[in-house]
Amino acid sequence: MTLESEFSPDSDRIMSVSLGPQHPGAGHFRVRLWLDGDYVVRSEPDAGYVHRGEEKMGEYRNYIQNVPHLERPVILDSSNILFPYATGVDELMNSKVPARGQYLRVIMSEINRIISHMYFIAIQGYFQGHTTMIAWGMGDRDLWIDLAERIAGARVTFAYIIPGGVRNDIPEFAIEKGLKTCDWFDKRMDEYEKIYFENPMVHQRSDHIGVLSREDAIAYGATGTVARASGLKVDVRKDEPYSAYPDLEFETPVMTQGDAWARTYVALLDMREAVKIIRQALKKLPSGPVRLKLGPQPRVPAGEVYSRTEAARGEMSYHIISDGSPRPYRLKIGVPSAKNLRVLPHLLRDVHVADIPVIYWGLNYWPVESDR
Amino acid sequence: MVVAQQQKTGAFQVLVGKIDDVLQYAIGDPMRYLANWGRLYSLWPVHLETACCSVEVGAAAGARFDMERFGTLEAFGSLRACDLIIVMGTVTRKLAPRLKLVYDQMAEPKWVIAMGACSITGGLYFDSYNVLRGIDDIIPVDVYVPGCPPRAEAFLQGLVLLQEKIRKAPSLSGR
Ligand code: SF4
Repeated sequence: MTLESEFSPDSDRIMSVSLGPQHPGAGHFRVRLWLDGDYVVRSEPDAGYVHRGEEKMGEYRNYIQNVPHLERPVILDSSNILFPYATGVDELMNSKVPARGQYLRVIMSEINRIISHMYFIAIQGYFQGHTTMIAWGMGDRDLWIDLAERIAGARVTFAYIIPGGVRNDIPEFAIEKGLKTCDWFDKRMDEYEKIYFENPMVHQRSDHIGVLSREDAIAYGATGTVARASGLKVDVRKDEPYSAYPDLEFETPVMTQGDAWARTYVALLDMREAVKIIRQALKKLPSGPVRLKLGPQPRVPAGEVYSRTEAARGEMSYHIISDGSPRPYRLKIGVPSAKNLRVLPHLLRDVHVADIPVIYWGLNYWPVESDR
Repeated sequence: MVVAQQQKTGAFQVLVGKIDDVLQYAIGDPMRYLANWGRLYSLWPVHLETACCSVEVGAAAGARFDMERFGTLEAFGSLRACDLIIVMGTVTRKLAPRLKLVYDQMAEPKWVIAMGACSITGGLYFDSYNVLRGIDDIIPVDVYVPGCPPRAEAFLQGLVLLQEKIRKAPSLSGR
């Protein structure tokens, strides 16, 4: 191939290897790497191992039947992938979701953000050889899962946010439990900072690694934690307030270094804001119904809608086209992982082989979500 | 004369058979027990995540469920040293040849856990154009763990069931 001569004067030095799909550092995903000794000269992501045809399946199920399979692509963030779907369908049907339903949507979405970020930080710690972080992270994540389970009744796949509101009301004791969990988690995050984020070993292994400049972040269309770590203030919750977010106070954390450490730290700052939002929303929770009455097979007026929300990884969007039948005519999911994947070949260049897992996982890339 | 010789060899064969049986019980059985006992508490899985069920395996490896109690790690380096393959969910057309390749590369004895509705029957994606309806056509499965996704406890139960199976394996080869 021309590749080799392109990259090195003596092409014998270049070795091409593939990382994944069977590799402890890359699940359901493969990257082809061209190595010169210990350096990566070029990389080529090979996605699509988990392509399950969600969009096509969406066309032969009705709007309510679509709920369970649409949350599977990003199972650790399952409420956030349903949120834009629900808002989109609501907009198409011109329905006004009750205030309590809006608040519960926000609460569940933020709980899911924490669950997803905890998984991200825990595994990032594991890839950096910081085993305390994975033990703590996975353990503490389970307490949030517990809370979500009390509210929605399942461990990861809640199917909680549905067109017309949320599936069921929050039980009284879960409000108390939620407030307690928030208080406890605030203290816990201080400990993470001490043991993980201020750890000199972690700094050594992720500072100035995989640096993405602000210009590149814009050029590649990065979103979510990746964009925010590079100094780009993007947050759909602020830019285009939806649901109950206008009533709640929170910040959009932004960092400027753009390296792997910053991408991890932004997730922690995100979680601090999420805790703030959950606490406010639980205290302010208005009374009333939580969902509209919809038939089992609601007919949606013909039309077209583009809806987006802020998921844990970044902007999640749906483009739904309805032709007036009970099924969508076209359902397009725009997921943040696919947007951030474009950054990977740019970052995996002139780096050590040992830095690959930190860079790869630092993008908070979830192959199942990206492949759909 | 021929008859006598036949009787003789017959008696000899019976004797050999008897000794064989005795040896089987005296040595073979403890050997089998020992070998399988050694295997059963160090099941090392290949890290081949296939879909979303891997999140629950991650949770099972976490501090709360702690699957290391059962002698199983979550991620391990080389697949040549692995003896367990956990198929964590949907197997697509692109992944299926790789799954088979990984299975073929592993050394005997090896076991397979099919985790999640997707790897058993195709689950939620039974009518998708890119998804296999169960993995039985590609590799033999030892334990099925139903659920979508199975809870971490259910996964651990599947692991314990597999250990039961290995303990009761009739032969030294562990199958
Ligand atoms: S069984 Fe459910 S959770 Fe598991 S891979 Fe299939 S869809 Fe995902």
